Amino acid sequence: MNRRDFLKTGMAGIAFLSLKTLGCSSSNSSGYVGDTYALTIGAALFEMIDGNKVFMWSFEDPQSGPHMPGPVIRVEAGEALRIFITNTLGENHSFVIPGVVDSGIIAPGETAVVIFTAPAAGTYLYLDPLNAPVNRVLGLHGAMVVLPKSGNTPYSTPTPAVQQLFNDLGTTAHFPKHALTPAGWQQARSRIWLLNQVDPLFNERAENGVFIDPADMKANFLPRYFTINGKSGAFAAHDEEIELEGRIGQPMLVRLLNAGLFTHSNHLHANHFYVTAINNVVQENVLAHDTFTTGAEDKIDWLVPFIRPPDIAGDPGIPLRDLIPNELRLTIGGDVGVPQSPLVFPMHCHNEVSQTAAGGNYPQGMVTHFEFLGDLDGVDFPNADKM
Amino acid sequence: MALPIVPRGDVPPGERLDFFKHICPPAFGGANPDPITPDRTIFRALLVGIELLLSDGGRVPMWIIEDTSDGTRTFPSKTIRVVRNEVVRCHVQCRENTHTIHWHGIEPTPMNDGVGKHSFEVDGSFDYQWQPRAAGTYFYHCHKNTVLHFEMGLYGLLIIDPKEPAGSPVTAPYKDGGPGFCAAFSPDTGHVIPYDVEAFWVSDDIDSRWHTLGHNAFMMKCDPDDPANPANFTQDGFLNDFRPDIFVITGAARRITDPTPFTAADSPLIAPTVRVGQTLLVRVLSAGYENHQYTLGLDALQIASDGRAYGEPPFQQYSRPVPLPAGEPLRLSTARRTDLIIRPTTAGVFPVTIEYFHRVSGKKLYSATTSITVTP
Repeated sequence: MNRRDFLKTGMAGIAFLSLKTLGCSSSNSSGYVGDTYALTIGAALFEMIDGNKVFMWSFEDPQSGPHMPGPVIRVEAGEALRIFITNTLGENHSFVIPGVVDSGIIAPGETAVVIFTAPAAGTYLYLDPLNAPVNRVLGLHGAMVVLPKSGNTPYSTPTPAVQQLFNDLGTTAHFPKHALTPAGWQQARSRIWLLNQVDPLFNERAENGVFIDPADMKANFLPRYFTINGKSGAFAAHDEEIELEGRIGQPMLVRLLNAGLFTHSNHLHANHFYVTAINNVVQENVLAHDTFTTGAEDKIDWLVPFIRPPDIAGDPGIPLRDLIPNELRLTIGGDVGVPQSPLVFPMHCHNEVSQTAAGGNYPQGMVTHFEFLGDLDGVDFPNADKM
Repeated sequence: MALPIVPRGDVPPGERLDFFKHICPPAFGGANPDPITPDRTIFRALLVGIELLLSDGGRVPMWIIEDTSDGTRTFPSKTIRVVRNEVVRCHVQCRENTHTIHWHGIEPTPMNDGVGKHSFEVDGSFDYQWQPRAAGTYFYHCHKNTVLHFEMGLYGLLIIDPKEPAGSPVTAPYKDGGPGFCAAFSPDTGHVIPYDVEAFWVSDDIDSRWHTLGHNAFMMKCDPDDPANPANFTQDGFLNDFRPDIFVITGAARRITDPTPFTAADSPLIAPTVRVGQTLLVRVLSAGYENHQYTLGLDALQIASDGRAYGEPPFQQYSRPVPLPAGEPLRLSTARRTDLIIRPTTAGVFPVTIEYFHRVSGKKLYSATTSITVTP
């Protein structure tokens, strides 16, 4: 299980919540049938990439503590869900999945419960919309992924174009499959990139209990840190839950969500990607891009085909170990060098302002790796086992 | 009660050098390690300092990439045009310091991709090599301290032209401004269509405060033993604080207070003239750090994005061209490109506005106007 995943809990699992507040007993007398989760709204100091510690609120999994962003809720379309949300902070908060469920105001010390049916398969942002965008941007956000009950796409009702794209993965000449893996997109080959930005001046005000005017934040937000799943720079680039890793012929789905205010323009090197859904609208016209916008509160799905980078000079039929043997053997940089194999490329936001941390320190902002470990025929590139 | 602290994480000992390379890429130069005989060789050198002239006599220092085969020194840097499926070699010379060139949207091996942290920064010279398989609009730029180097002007358009059909009077690569051929959904003509006139809307925004900074401004200290040590970070930079005061279309610039329209006197590539019945191709590149919005006074058809022609099989069979009716805004965040086809049916001067919206607040910062002139 992905360690950021939300832990499902039975009634015993939520015993640490105030059952009195809940008016709920372990016999599950409400008649509810389905999975139960617990969330705590808390605060912590999160260390930024340069060591500065920044106050943030977060939705916490009570069993694992503060984490940025909140834990991933992973469910199947149509499944029933019950979530207990406890506000441990000194001001009102709430839990909302826009268009799906709304806890209403949760006063300090109180616990609310929401019961709902998982909507159509797709990518959802859960958040605290109170005093918007302040509570969301200061950390109260997380992702919910809804998977379809059936089919070979990430959607309950794919459009014809999206269905054709997923049918073609691994079954056509333009999307050949990796020799040792099945054709098609495998659900496990998915990433969530929850984007956010931090302007510590606003966090400091929240820490001191000073009310933040949303209009002030929208007008004057000047982020110094740009994060994917709470991480920046080399730490995001080397995070196994963020980086794209695979072999040629192993497509991957990336779900981008932007909890912040900055318009990101994420650029993938080495492969164009297909934008398959925008804010849960499965696309009728599936366009390929190398750079695409993820604005405030946007939810964008990319299908990265993991084809061999198409513009490598030379015969596309020759395995790369024979076409670029010298590059794959090279270590550039002497004693502090890193081998050129396997093939590693970047994904970064091309609004290069977001490649900074603390006003400079390029490239310690919104960036990660895109790694090709092996060739189509099942033979890995040198050093792939060390990744 | 003391707040819990969530640490940023440790650098795994086995990844220390990889973290170091992320921050301080190595330098390298010379021949390509796996050279293939090129069909075409391009020559570029960087960097060259020039001044961008403003209509009020003001001058802004820029850095550009020179075409050393003919000495062209322009902002944006001179457009590169090559033919689809050619093996291209680009001899890149660094006159001082180290740089790279990334061929944005072209997808070669890491050493030919021009990103220092995944390969190297060029010391002296290097022969980048790639073979573009998809015709369309791309760009090239320096990928070192990119937040500054891209802003300073180290970029230019990169166009992959489809080969001309048999019997064509023009041959690829085509001249800037047309006529020529481009990739577009057209099953009857092999997905290649002609155009008569070509325009470039390369929109940019400039914060003149940044244009006094040095090459390595606000970079981290290089420490191979402890690459991510907080002490290595600079804290005095302001490269997160972009406040544009100059707005640009394809090299022509206006101060934020200057509403002077952009005309053919600036460049016919910005404000083109076409006849009724002709085809105009507009290549749009959003090259600033704000969100750029393009609104045309006549109907257009979006035929491609990011060097991929909608509907062109096999990879683009999941899409079709998208109408862009007159008056409907098209918004692009940085580094995105789109290609528009316009086939005017009536004569007139049709307005075009390019508006620049703040990346966070969404506030409109500047509205540039230009036009498309259609003659009978």
